[in-house]
Amino acid sequence: MTTPLLEIEDLHARVADKEIIKGFNLTINEGEVHAIMGPNGAGKSTLSNVICGKPGYEITSGSIRFKGKDLTKMSAEDRAREGIFLCMQYPVEIPGVAVTTFLKHSINAVRKYHNLPELDTMEFVKMVREEGKKLGIDNEMIKRPVNVGFSGGEKKRLETLQMNILKPSFAILDEADSGLDVDALKVVAEGMNALRDGKRSMLIITHYQRLLEYVVPDFVHVYADGHIVKSGDKTLAAEIEKDGYAEYTRER
Amino acid sequence: MGGLVQKVKLFGEYIPWFQAMRDKGAIAFDELGLPTPKTEAWKYTKLRDLNTDDLVIEPSNFLAEMRVAAEEACGCHHEDGGCGCHHHHGEGCCCGHHHEEGECHCHEEGHVCECQQKLHVPFEAYVIHFEKGKMIPPFPDFPRGVEVMNLMEAVLTEDAKEYLGKVVDIKLHPFAALNNAYMEEGIYLCVHKNVKVDKPIVLINHTKSGEENIFFNIRNLIVLEQGAEAEFVEWYNYTGAVKSRYFANVVNEIVLGKNAKLSHYKLQDEAFKANHIALSVVKQKSDSNYHNCCLQRGANIGRNEVKVLLNDENASAEVNAAYIMSGWATLDTTTDILHLSPRTYSSQLVKGVVGGEAKGVFQGKIHIAPDAVQTEGNQLHRALLLTDTAEIDVKPELEIFADDVKCSHGAASGELDENQLFYMQSRGIGREEAKQILIDAYLNEALDKVKNPEIRAWLSDYAHAPQE
Repeated sequence: MTTPLLEIEDLHARVADKEIIKGFNLTINEGEVHAIMGPNGAGKSTLSNVICGKPGYEITSGSIRFKGKDLTKMSAEDRAREGIFLCMQYPVEIPGVAVTTFLKHSINAVRKYHNLPELDTMEFVKMVREEGKKLGIDNEMIKRPVNVGFSGGEKKRLETLQMNILKPSFAILDEADSGLDVDALKVVAEGMNALRDGKRSMLIITHYQRLLEYVVPDFVHVYADGHIVKSGDKTLAAEIEKDGYAEYTRER
Repeated sequence: MGGLVQKVKLFGEYIPWFQAMRDKGAIAFDELGLPTPKTEAWKYTKLRDLNTDDLVIEPSNFLAEMRVAAEEACGCHHEDGGCGCHHHHGEGCCCGHHHEEGECHCHEEGHVCECQQKLHVPFEAYVIHFEKGKMIPPFPDFPRGVEVMNLMEAVLTEDAKEYLGKVVDIKLHPFAALNNAYMEEGIYLCVHKNVKVDKPIVLINHTKSGEENIFFNIRNLIVLEQGAEAEFVEWYNYTGAVKSRYFANVVNEIVLGKNAKLSHYKLQDEAFKANHIALSVVKQKSDSNYHNCCLQRGANIGRNEVKVLLNDENASAEVNAAYIMSGWATLDTTTDILHLSPRTYSSQLVKGVVGGEAKGVFQGKIHIAPDAVQTEGNQLHRALLLTDTAEIDVKPELEIFADDVKCSHGAASGELDENQLFYMQSRGIGREEAKQILIDAYLNEALDKVKNPEIRAWLSDYAHAPQE
C-alpha cells in the first residue's frame, strides 16, 4: 500500500483560546475526491486554514502528514509549493497588483521550489490565455488588480484559473459554490472536473449538496463539533440534503 | 567659519536689484531663524539632526571661472571628454575613488565616469548635470522656443528679473530666505508661447562619497508662457559607499501662463546622512495645469514642500507623492494648495511606506478663498507602517471660505494586510516576496499618476527601500 496523500490523525486545533477542531481524523489517497459537509459554525473553514498553514491557528495535538511529510512544520508557502491549493471562500482583493503579475510570481515561486526554470513571458502569457479561455476569462480581466471589483463569479473563476495553472496534487475547495449562479457554478465545476485525472485529490468543503451534483465525490463526511461524525458515499450527501444536520448536532 | 550663515563671495554682487534680493534673504533668515518644534509648519520634522555647525559653502564656480578665463591658464577643462566632471588634477576623482596623482583615467578618451555610467537616464531627455549643487557645462542643445541658461546668465541678461524672487515669499519660508541669500547656482528655463518641448528636461544633481559637510543651494526659475508645454524632472542622486553628510537646499519658482502645462517630477535619492529641503512654489494663470509627482527615498531629513497658487479661473493642479524609508530618516511631504479663483481644481495623492525607526510626515493644506466658488480640492494620504517603531504624523488642513465647493481629505495608516499575505503565500509566493509585492503595489498607486510611461517606469524602479 502506498503512502496516503493526506493523513490527519487526532487533530486538535484552536483559535485564541477556543478549541475548534477536536479529534479530527481523515485519510485521503491519491485520486480520491472527499466532501466534508457540515452545519455553519462547525469549524469547516478552520480545518482548511489549519491544513494550509494560515497564521493564527494553533495545533495543540495530533498530526497532519502530506505525501508522508509533516505539514505542521512547513510554512504556508511551502505547503502550496508541495502541491496543496486552497480555493478560498472569500478570495482576497489585492489593489495595485495585476492578476498577471500575481500569477507570474506564483507559478515561478512554485517552479523554483521544484528546481524548474522560470517561465519566460511568452510561455507564461500563452498558458494564461489558454487556461483563461476555458473559464471564460478574457485578457481585460487578467490586467485588472487581483479580485478588486470582481463579481462573485469572476472571483471563483480566477480561483479556478489559478488552480488549473498551478496544477496542485491536492485541492481544498472551501465553499467554492458560495455566491455563484448556476452558470458560474458549472464553469467552476468543469474546471474542477478537468483536474480529476485519477491522481489528483480534492477535499470539497460545503454546506450544501449543490456543488456535489456537478463534482461527484467518492466519499462524504459529516463534520460537526470539530470532528467527523459520520462517513459514507455520495448518497450521504443526498440524505443530508433531505434531513438536514439536526440529527448530528443534537448528538451532544 | 561654518554653519548656515557664512561669508562667501558670490558672483553678481555688483548687480543692485539682484544683490538686494540676496541681502533681503539674509535679513529674513536672520529674523526667522531655524524652525523650532513650536513652528507650526515644521511641527513634526525636527531639525535637531541638521547639525549645521561644520557645514561649508564651496567657493563660487562663476568667480573661479572668471579668474581662470582672466589668467587663461586652464589646464583642466575638457571639451569633449564626456566626463563632465570638473575637478582639478590630484583631487579626488568624481567617480568616488581616490586616485594617486596622474592615475585618474577620467579624461582619457572613451572613458566614461563611473558616476555617469550609473546615472544613465533611461528615457530620451535633455539632461543638465549638476555636481554638489554646481552646474557642469555643457548644456544640451535645446530646440527653438526653449530657452535654458544658468541662473546667473539670466540675471545678467535680466531675463530672470521679472519673476525671480517674486513667486516665493521668503518671509514665510526660512530655508527659502536662506536660499535667496546664496542665490547663484540653478537654471532658468523659459518655454516660449505655444511651444511644446519634445523631450523631458532633466536636472541631475550628483553628489558623491567623500564630499563631506557641503552646504549647497540650488535655485531654479521655470517660466512657461501661454500655451507652452514641458516636462521637468529633478533627480538628486548620491553615489558612493561612504555615507556623506551634506545639506541640499532647493527652491523652484514656477510660473505657468494661460493654458500652459507643466509636468514636474522628482526623485530624491540623497545619502542617508544628508539633508534635503526643497520648496517649489507655482503660480498659475487661467486654464493652466501643473502636474507634480515626487518620490523621496533618501536623506536623513528630507522635505519636499509644494505650494500652488491657483490664481485664475480653471487652473488645475495635481500634486502626488510617494516616499519609502527605513533607518532613522524623517521624510516630510508638505503641500499648500491655494484656490484663489472660481472653478479651480486640485487633487493630491500621497502614499508612504515607513520601516525601521523612521518617521513619515504629511502636512497637506487646501485653502479656498471667499470668491473661489465651484472649486474642487481633493486630498488623500495613506501610509504603510512596516515596524512597531515606525511613525507617521499627518496634518490635513482645509480652510474653506467659499460656499458651493467640493472638498475632501482623507488619511489612513496601517500595516501590511495579513489576509493578503496569506492569500499570496497560499499560492506559493514566499512571505518576504509577498511583502515586497504589496509594498511596490502600495507606492505604485501614487506613481501611476505620472503621465509619461517612461518616467513612471523609471520612478517605479526606485520605489524600493534602499539598502543601507
